[in-house]
Parts: sequence; C-alpha cells; structure tokens
Amino acid sequence: MSLVLVALALPLLAAVLALCWRRQAAWLVWLAALLNLPLLAVALWQVVTSGSQPLLLSSTETGLLNWQLTPLTALLMLLVASIHFLVASYSLSQWRFAGLSLYFWPLAALVQSLFFVLLLSADLLFWYLSMELLGLVAVALVLLAGKKAWQAALRYLLLSLAGSLCFLLGVALLYTQYGSFALSELTLGIAESSGDPRLALWLMTLGLMLKAALWPLHWWLPAAHLVAPAAVSALHAGLIIKAPLFLLWMLWSQLATPAIAEVGSVWFLLTGSLALLAGGWSALRAPLPKLMIAHSTVAQLGYGLLALGLMLSLAEPALEQAFWLFIMAHALAKAAAFLAIGEMQLRLGGKRLTTFRGASQTMPLAMFALAVAGGSLIGLPPSGGFLAKWQLLVPLWQQSQYWPVLLVILLGTLLSAGYVFRLVVLAFYRARPRPAGFKAPVLPQWLALMPALLVWGLALFSLPLLHWLGG
Amino acid sequence: MDWNSWLPLWIVLSSLLPGLLIFTLAEDRYVLRTSLNMGGVLLKLGLVGWMWQGVKAGQDYYFELPFLPGAPLVLHGDALSMQFVLLSSVLWCVTTLYAIGYLEGSPLRSRFFGYFNLCVSATVGLALSGNLVSFVLFYELLTLATFPLVVHRGTAAALKAGRRYLAYTLTGGTVLLFGAALLHSLIGSPVFMPGGYLQPLLAEHSGVLTLAFVLLIAGLGVKAALLPLHGWLPEAMVAPAPVSALLHAVAVVKAGAFGIVRVVYDVFGVEVMQQLDLGWLLVVLASSTILYGSWRALQQQDLKRRLAYSTVSQVSYVTLGVAMLGPVAAIGGLVHLVHQGVMKITLFFCAGNFAETLGIHKIQELNGVGRRMPLSSTAFTLGAAGMIGLPATAGMLSKWYLATGALEAGYPWVLLVLLGSSAMNAMYFLPLLYRIWFLPAAPWPQERVLSNRFETHWMLLLPPVLTAALVLLMGLLAGTDISPLSWSKLIVEREFSYD
Repeated sequence: MSLVLVALALPLLAAVLALCWRRQAAWLVWLAALLNLPLLAVALWQVVTSGSQPLLLSSTETGLLNWQLTPLTALLMLLVASIHFLVASYSLSQWRFAGLSLYFWPLAALVQSLFFVLLLSADLLFWYLSMELLGLVAVALVLLAGKKAWQAALRYLLLSLAGSLCFLLGVALLYTQYGSFALSELTLGIAESSGDPRLALWLMTLGLMLKAALWPLHWWLPAAHLVAPAAVSALHAGLIIKAPLFLLWMLWSQLATPAIAEVGSVWFLLTGSLALLAGGWSALRAPLPKLMIAHSTVAQLGYGLLALGLMLSLAEPALEQAFWLFIMAHALAKAAAFLAIGEMQLRLGGKRLTTFRGASQTMPLAMFALAVAGGSLIGLPPSGGFLAKWQLLVPLWQQSQYWPVLLVILLGTLLSAGYVFRLVVLAFYRARPRPAGFKAPVLPQWLALMPALLVWGLALFSLPLLHWLGG
Repeated sequence: MDWNSWLPLWIVLSSLLPGLLIFTLAEDRYVLRTSLNMGGVLLKLGLVGWMWQGVKAGQDYYFELPFLPGAPLVLHGDALSMQFVLLSSVLWCVTTLYAIGYLEGSPLRSRFFGYFNLCVSATVGLALSGNLVSFVLFYELLTLATFPLVVHRGTAAALKAGRRYLAYTLTGGTVLLFGAALLHSLIGSPVFMPGGYLQPLLAEHSGVLTLAFVLLIAGLGVKAALLPLHGWLPEAMVAPAPVSALLHAVAVVKAGAFGIVRVVYDVFGVEVMQQLDLGWLLVVLASSTILYGSWRALQQQDLKRRLAYSTVSQVSYVTLGVAMLGPVAAIGGLVHLVHQGVMKITLFFCAGNFAETLGIHKIQELNGVGRRMPLSSTAFTLGAAGMIGLPATAGMLSKWYLATGALEAGYPWVLLVLLGSSAMNAMYFLPLLYRIWFLPAAPWPQERVLSNRFETHWMLLLPPVLTAALVLLMGLLAGTDISPLSWSKLIVEREFSYD
C-alpha cells in the first residue's frame, strides 16, 4: 500500500529536482516515470490478490486523507504511469528537434502526481484542489508552444477557472447541507436526510463538463490542441481531460438518488449522442490532422457519456466496464495518434492533410501507429475500443427501448471510420521522391507505435481486465 | 493441449509469421522474401493436407483462446471449414507464384507481400472460425489486410477504388458486428453446430431473430457482392492482377459467401430458417444478383470489368444453392464455392497475362491472341467453358446440382434463372473465344518480351495452366474420393444429419 505513495512522491521529487537541476531535467523525469511502472504493477498485483486497501494517512475525524486503493484506481494509476512513461520516452528522444522547452519536464511530472492524488482520494476537497492544480499545469503546458499559443491558453485558463468555480460552489453547497467532504459520508447523508443535493450536483457537473471538454462545452479544446506541441497534446487528450471524467462518474454513481439519476440519464444520453454525431462530423470536415484528432476526442468522449447515461438507468456491470474501457482505450489511442502525427509533421514538414500523402512509404512505422490507433477509435476488433463497444452493445440489445442509442453508435462508428480512413488513404498515394538526405529516425516512430500496440493488447488481455474493472 | 488442438492455430500462423517477417525486409532481398513466401505456402499446404485427412476420418480439431466474456476465440476444423481452407490454400499457392512473377522489378514488394500473407492468414482464420465472434474478428481483419493491396499502385484511380472498397466493407463489417452482438445478447456465442443453435429462442424472439438475420446477411452481402451491395467489386479492378485473383477467387468474395453458408446452416439452421420463412428472401436476392450481374457483364468492353461482373453473378450461385435449404441444392452451392474460385482465378490470370505481355485491356484487342499466346488462350478457353457450364467441366456439375436441387426444394422458377444466366454467360464468353481463336491479329497495343522460350514469363504461365487443368480434372474426376464434389456431399451429409 505504501508503494502507491512512493509512486505519488517520486514524480513530485523529480519535478522539484528538475527545477533545481535544469540540465538533467529530462533524464530525471524519465527515470521517475520508469521507476513508477514496476511499483504500480506490484501495487496492482497486491490489490488484486488481497482486495481494496485503505491508505490511512492520519486519523482525523473529518475523513480527509482517508485515501483508498481499489483495483480500479490501481489499474488507472498504472495506465497513467504507462502513458506518461511512453510520452516521456518519446519526448526524450525528440525534444531537441521538436522545440520542447525544458519546463515541459517538471510540468509533465506534476501531471502524474496530481492525477494520482485525484485517483486515490475520495473526498471533494482533495478532488477540487488536485483538479484545479491539474488545470493550471495544463494551461502552462499549452503555453510551452510560445506566443502563438497565448490566445488559446488564455481562453483555456478562463474556462478552466470558471469550471473550477462551479465545482467549488457545488462542494460548498454539499458541505453546508451534509457537513462533510468525504464521498462515503455524503452518500449516507443524501440517502438519509431530506436535503436536496440537486443544485450542487448539477453545478459540479457543469464544471466538470467544461473541464473535460464534453459536448456542448468543448469548443476550447480543438484550438488548444492545435497549437500545443505533440507531446503536450498527447498528455492532454490522453490523461488530463480524463480526470474530470473520472470525477463525473464517481459523483453520479455514488451521490445520485434514483430520482436525480433518471434526469441525469436522459441528459447524458442526449449530450453523449450529440457529441458522437457532432464531433464525428466536425472531425470529418476538419482541414488539419491535429484538428481532426481533437474533434475526434470530443466525439469519443460521447461514448463515455452514453455509458454513464445508460448505467444510471440500467445499473448493468457491463456498462461500468465499458466506461472504463473507453477511457483506457481512448487514452492510449490518442497518445499514439498525437505522437505519430507530431512526428510526421516534424519530419515531413507541414501541417496540412496533404503532408501525409505517401506517408506509408516515407514514414511507415509512424503511419502504422496512426492507423492502428485509429482502428481502436473506430472499434475494430481486436482492440480496446472494440472491447468497450462490445460491452456497450450487448446490454443495449437486451433493452429494446434504447434502439435510438444503437443507431447513434452505428452512425458514430461510421463517422469515425470516415475520418480515420480519410487520413490513412492519403498515406497510400505513391510518394513523391524525397530529397536525398531525408531519413526519418526510427526510434521515435517506435515509441509512437507502443501505445497503439498496447491498446490492441487490451483486447487480448480482456478477461483479467474485465475482472479488475468489476465484472 | 495436444498437437491436434494446436493445428488450426499453426495453419493461421504459417502465413502470418512469414508475412510479418517480410514487412521488415529491404526491397532488394529477393531471395529471402521469395523463400519466406514459398516456405509459408508449402508449410500451409502440408498442414492443411494433414488436417483434411484427419477431418475425413472424423477427427476433431479445436483451439480456444479467451477473448470476450462468454465468447472465446475459437478455431475449429470441420468439414465445411476444410472446403474453404483447402480452396484458399491451394489457390494461394498458385497466386503467390504468379504474384512473384508479376511484380518482378516493381517497387514496394515487401509491403505488398506482407499484406498478401496477412490477407491469406485472415481468410484461413475466417474459414476456421468456430463461433460468430471469431468470424467477425477475422472478417474485419480481412478488410484491413486487403485494402493496402487494392490501393497498391497508389494512383488516383486506385485510391478512389480503395475508398469505395472501405466505405462498403467497413459499413458491412459494422452491421455484421451489430448482428453478432444482438445474437450474443440473446444466447451467447456457442460453437457453430449443424442445425444451428437458435431453436430455443424461436418461440419468443422470432421478430428479433429476423432482425438479426437481416443484419448478418447485409453485413456478409457486401463482401459476397449481393445485389445492392456489389458496387465496390467492379471498381476494385484497378488493382494488380494477383490482387484481383485474391479478391475474386481466393479470399474476399468467398469470405462473404462462406459466411452466408455458416449463418444459414450453423447459426440459424435449416429448421429455424424454414419456420421463420427466411429462405425465399435470400433465393430471390441471389437470383436477381445472378441475372443482373450477367446482364451487366454483357455490356462491358473492358476485359477485367466483364470478368468482375461475371463474378458478381457467379458467386451468388453459392448463396442460391444454400438458400434453397435442400440437400441437393446445397451440394451445388458448396461445390460451386470451389469451382467458381478455380475457374475465375484462371480467367484473371489469363487476363493478367494478356495485359502484361501484349498490353491488352479491351475486348476488341483480343483478336488473334490464340496464335501468339496459345497456352494462356487455351487456359482462358477452359475457364470460360466452365463458366458457361459446358459438359465435362467443373461448371456443369454445379449447375446440374443446383437445377435438380431447385426442383427438389420447390423452386421450379429457379431453373429459368439458371437457364437465362447460362445463356448470358455464353453470350459474353463465346464472342471472346471467337476473337481469340478465329479473328486475324492486329498489332498489339504494347508488347513486352518477358521470355525467350515461352509465350510469357514462366511464373505467369504456369499458374493458369495448372488451374485450367484443375477445372478439367474436377469435372472428369468428380466421382472419385478426392474431388470437391465428394467433399461437398460429405459436408451436406454432416450438416443435414444432426438429429
């Protein structure tokens, strides 16, 4: 159990050291990310074999610092650490060329620590604090791109602050009514007393939806992804926007009474469907590849909303698995996609779709990574995306009243196939001869491919995975 | 696990592993690449021959890997899967030889042969799939592995055909996935069994079962080129000739037709199909595809396009034979799965030879080819004779069983369809033969000297000669043990005697 606390402290330490010792920043952060992998793998193994463990840091009565490690959080921590490690490795192999500032390293390490705090704690105060800090770090990461990013970053900052404020208001309202920040006590309080948590819950939902770029509050996301460096986009789409989504799930699955859940279900089904369709359509029309992948994020998060909406009304365990699988598959696929696109744009020179003409010959590995990640986004078997979609489809077919959702998923799948293959097809044009000196280094391409292979590996590893996700 | 349960996996891996290795090879490693290709081919043929022997003797080959909850990945060798596995591995053998000769000296050969091997692995996996989920998995993998081959030339026309191919097949794959998920939500995904496994659901869920059937057939119909879903096939003609052979004879189109056979016999089963009254729907669809395809083939002036529309028509014979739900018609449909493959691959090899050696693409350019390329022309003639259904060829057998089966199953009007289609087959093939053999030669559009001893490169010549001989042998030796006809009878025996 103390392993996870070490895993939490390591990146924090690396961040501080990296600030003092700027020349070695990259290596320090990379090393911390590497060390965290075995630590978290062992922690996952422990928690799977011996059950959930409370991490009592102090015995205060407020219930603050009553952290807990469950198989789910252990798995998500391992996922965060893996993506972090892969992105760090890519950046390490590449940062001299990609124009990445040295400040990237401490910020990236902080993302990991803050994410761990958020996953481990089960009270609203810590959630608020870690999410707020995560938002600030994210803005700083976007700012690394320099002057051209100022406008997008400023907008992101303002919206992020507004989102946090909404969340904070909700937290305050709940505290005044039930006198606690801890999730478990709040659940009890809401079940017993006659207080009305509705306003608080919806305020928090609004804040989280803003921060997670959930449709219709997503408009800041494409601009931010467009200007950010590839490694930052990968961290952002892969990890940072998953934090509010995690909280959204925890809040609604724990705090919502049946009456509230009914309304919430309709709301999430509606926004999820629209996200899937509108996001997919925008991605299909996007003129730039990075913009396309950003719109695809908006669309893919729609699957998460659909799973949440369905879970609130059906309470089927398969839907909970589907939600977490979507998150994991999407995180890995997006990391691979952004790294591959960044690498190709860097080497082939150009930001337009036409840059990718003939890429299957000039940069076969990076293009393969993009195609494989795209396959998971579409939900082609045997990928993590397929597994998630399957877990969503099977319970849906058993409930005939949800047939419009099936139709939405069908359309969403076809739209995603449309935008992914729009890019992939371009790569198969016969390439124009490159200048004689052109040689794309292989290592960064392999590093971009790794998360894509992992996401296909999820499907081969499905049975233990589903077991840990609560089957 | 003993050796027998690993055999299906090895059959899939025998082309998958060489394929993955080939991707890593540099362009100029000709010898190593060719040895990997041919080594994989021969290994697979050996393994398949072994399994064929075992299945004939009643041996069971079953491999299982956990995949989805309640739906493992199953590879299972039964009589029906052997029909398709044998067909695709034998034809793959000759196609590999042909492709090596065809692509000699052209760029991107490692990429081509890598995907070429993946494509056959997916086909064999699909043939051996033991349940619906495994089938869907390989069906999608086949789409993905074929796409780079279709667009191999990288021209604007090839990319256009590739986009169209993807639009059709990915939509079909998604619809198939939805159908499979629907059935899985009702009853799980048990292993395919003769007579199907949906009987217990018939009383309560007949409407849902019909929906599932429509979804599955719509998904499979895309690859099988059933009537409104056939549009991708003629467009895909821009691909190199070995790829056309792969699409039309070895893998893609056959995967759709084979899937329909599986769904009708081993998922729904004859009884459920009869009680839901679904057979006639498929019979009508297949019949109209047969007539429409022949009609469109008549109008084409491009040789490969004419052959493509002929495929649209001929593959639906398989669907027709299966959909009539009688044992005799089933023999006709199943044996045509093999016969059509061998005949059509011969025709495409020959068309490729004419195009490569003499630059012939249009039908009027064929005049007098018979004297310049006698062996290819003879092979073409045999393939065409089989397609028309002339006596002593394989094609006649298929049509004979289909016709008697139609009478037995109570679809007398299907005879008219068969007659009409055969007449049109004759109308679009006989003029070609007349041009080849009897008209005087004009100057060839673009002649290349590929060999000093033979009419063209030997690697291009041997495959069509071999398959043309097969067309004849399958007809002449139909009564023997080793013919596809006897094997089809064996399948029907096992599929129809499940009580």
